[in-house]
Amino acid sequence: MNKQEFLTYSGLQAQTLDFWLEQGWIIPKETSAGMKFSDIDGARARLIEDLKTNFGVNHEGVDVILHLIDQLHGLRRALAELHNNIQGTSL
Amino acid sequence: MRNPYEVLGVAPTASSVEIQKAYRNLAKKLHPDLNPGDKAAEEKFKEIAGAYDLLGDAEKRKRFDNGEIDAAGVERPQHQFYRDFATSDHGHPYTDNSGFADFMDADGALAELLRRGQRARANRRGEDLHYRLPIDFVESITGANKRLTLPDGGTLDVRIPPGLVDGQILRLRGKGAPGTGTGGPGDALIEVEILPDRRFTREGDDISLELPISLSEAVLGGRIRVPTPTGEVTMSVLKGSNTGTTMRLKGKGAPRRGGGHGDQFVKLKVVLPKPPDPELETFVSNWDKGKAFNPREDRTSGS
Repeated sequence: MNKQEFLTYSGLQAQTLDFWLEQGWIIPKETSAGMKFSDIDGARARLIEDLKTNFGVNHEGVDVILHLIDQLHGLRRALAELHNNIQGTSL
Repeated sequence: MRNPYEVLGVAPTASSVEIQKAYRNLAKKLHPDLNPGDKAAEEKFKEIAGAYDLLGDAEKRKRFDNGEIDAAGVERPQHQFYRDFATSDHGHPYTDNSGFADFMDADGALAELLRRGQRARANRRGEDLHYRLPIDFVESITGANKRLTLPDGGTLDVRIPPGLVDGQILRLRGKGAPGTGTGGPGDALIEVEILPDRRFTREGDDISLELPISLSEAVLGGRIRVPTPTGEVTMSVLKGSNTGTTMRLKGKGAPRRGGGHGDQFVKLKVVLPKPPDPELETFVSNWDKGKAFNPREDRTSGS
């Protein structure tokens, strides 16, 4: 998806998306044809939207939560790899 | 479907502020993206989100209280949460390993295992990318050079080898998505679709063609031009050829895998002049032998 398609898909205001991009909350792929958004960006936008509108989290709160969630997924992946490696070595 | 008031744990007389508060308290605990390891969280979250869709909207809540709509009417459509993507092992820009960076500096079995996993990820081969490429029948026999325009605006030059069959997949090494570290790029896999041709059909390595000829060519024979995928050739039609007479052009078929070529079969079809020619009509009406000839002689009468 390009930026325009992503705005339509997510229902976000252009101004809001620009701010999120500036904050590094959403990181689309940079291609020669401009920004390219994928499903993970869409799901992340929905999460941010949930946090802000439904949970009443403010800007700073979103920033903190995203950072912690990203670390959590990093840890989850590391744990999954450890799990695989341990299984692999015991065979 | 449970009663939405029960789901949110509020009294039917609760104010909208109380409902919002109850929803937020539950949602914060149950949002699937805040509970990436809890499979049950998604179901529970959907239930409370559905209940809040109903009770959080004053208009809908009133209609529900009056019995105009029921709780099932507001079931949420399935949607994918961020956690569904974030835990997949494809590299994505949100990856953050700072949560265990301190372990990596240490010695010991745990650090070694973690490092091993990171190295594997750091040197991951790029993904294979799949494309479809339609080509003309003739190009499938003779081979061709095609340029494929990619969704991101780039192009890919594809050499179509002669004799390719429909659905065959060409692999362009290293033309897929870029890898990380020393992983190297993936491949581009191109499925070739052969568009049907008005004239030619293919069976194995042989090609068939139906070729119209005139009455004079059928009766008197002669040399005619025949199209083949590699260009026109001249072929002799024997005297007295008929509709259905099939002739073989040796080596004019598709290239064979082990070398050589199949054949092209030319099936003749006699076509009378259009509009009907008065001279021919006069000749045939005076042509007694022609009238005496019954091509259906050897068939038993059907009726």
